[in-house]
Amino acid sequence: MNNKICKLLVLTLGFLTAGCASTPTVDNGNNDPGEGANRVVYDINDGIDRYLIKPVAQKYADYTPEPVREGITNFFDNLTYLNVVFNSFLQGKLNQGLSDVGRFAVNSTIGFGGFFDPATAWGVPKHDEDFGQTLGVWGMDEVAYIVLPLLGPNSVRDTPGLATSTLLNPLFYVSSVVIGPIGALGIINTRANLLEATRVRDEAALDAYTFTREAYRQRRINAIFDGDPPVENLDEFIESDGTEEGVLIIE
Amino acid sequence: MKGNSTSIVRNVVRVFALCFGLTLSVAAAPLPAEAVAVVDRLHAALLEVMQKAGTLGYPGRYEKLDPLIRKSFDFGTIAQIVVGRFWKELSDAQRQSFIDTFTKLSTATYAARFDDFGNEQFRHVAGEKLKKDRILVKTELVKSNGEAVRLDYVLQTKSDEWLIVNVIADGVSDLSLKRADYTSVLKSKGFDDLITDLNDKIAKYGAEE
Repeated sequence: MNNKICKLLVLTLGFLTAGCASTPTVDNGNNDPGEGANRVVYDINDGIDRYLIKPVAQKYADYTPEPVREGITNFFDNLTYLNVVFNSFLQGKLNQGLSDVGRFAVNSTIGFGGFFDPATAWGVPKHDEDFGQTLGVWGMDEVAYIVLPLLGPNSVRDTPGLATSTLLNPLFYVSSVVIGPIGALGIINTRANLLEATRVRDEAALDAYTFTREAYRQRRINAIFDGDPPVENLDEFIESDGTEEGVLIIE
Repeated sequence: MKGNSTSIVRNVVRVFALCFGLTLSVAAAPLPAEAVAVVDRLHAALLEVMQKAGTLGYPGRYEKLDPLIRKSFDFGTIAQIVVGRFWKELSDAQRQSFIDTFTKLSTATYAARFDDFGNEQFRHVAGEKLKKDRILVKTELVKSNGEAVRLDYVLQTKSDEWLIVNVIADGVSDLSLKRADYTSVLKSKGFDDLITDLNDKIAKYGAEE
């Protein structure tokens, strides 16, 4: 029970911070009105990552055999899959939703609680949906970019998705001493899977905050359009010089 | 009356057929072979440097890729886009300096990232024509375990030559990523610092091996 209270507190804290960060303060043309506060949170998150989470994730990646890591990733992906099912239906993707139900059932049982992924081999592919994408499909734009404590890049549109993904995760309803270590493993495994992406960011980015914001934004648009987003209209910023840095217009 | 409604239905069907036919014909229009060849040529060179990564080393991969990258990308247009509104404020010498540095950084990035070979393959997915005679060539880099990274290229013509103006990796446009990043530096630190930062990146890529 204490676990649930803790999780709700974390979630509430996230919402409150999101509320503060999204209060329009400066219209800087980047859809990031709380940039000052966001940068502070980004730096704190980055410090925690650099000195605590990333080193542990690196050790974990170095010493965990690839098939074991894959199994653990499958396990956590499967735990979050009810959220995918829910949002496939909310987006009106009925066939995909039914296929996702089948995938969750197969991998949870024959796949030994999700450690194995026989569904993909049987032609039932994995999809990537969440409530933020659903709101995007329904026509809501990002509203404003925000950086959440510990959770990192987010937006006003994507923040409510934290509630659906938490409430639809079976772990949320488990009261046991193992929940702490399982949660920690989930965080370390997720971070380990992002090591390559953050290496590329560290190599390429001049201003890591801006780079992360732009990459997050584009990844979200890509997810909303299921991997086939509209292509940017280059003329918008060649001929008009662009009014500000940041968002490119899409055709 | 019945005849009238039949003819209306027939006309509606005709209009639909026409629209559908036109849509089909647009979608099925082949992409210019010369444009696709630019992407294929780049992929072939990348595969070659990946396969010989060890023997070539970073300097060898850089030397091999440099001339091809210079003739495959429209760096003049790319530079103008990634610098955003600051382009107007730059002198000709600054513009040229930025184009030169950016070109080196692009080659350095390819030479550093394509540094080993694990039986990857490039595969064409599709393509489409965009506005203003630009085209989109959709490809995938498929790893040996079947995982694929989408790599889409936007090309346009310059002096009758097809050149790449943008690479979109799994939905992330390199142009808009760099534009956001570079204009942020230009705004906070200025042009000279941007060039210094880019040269630092080039040096770091070279120092990795």
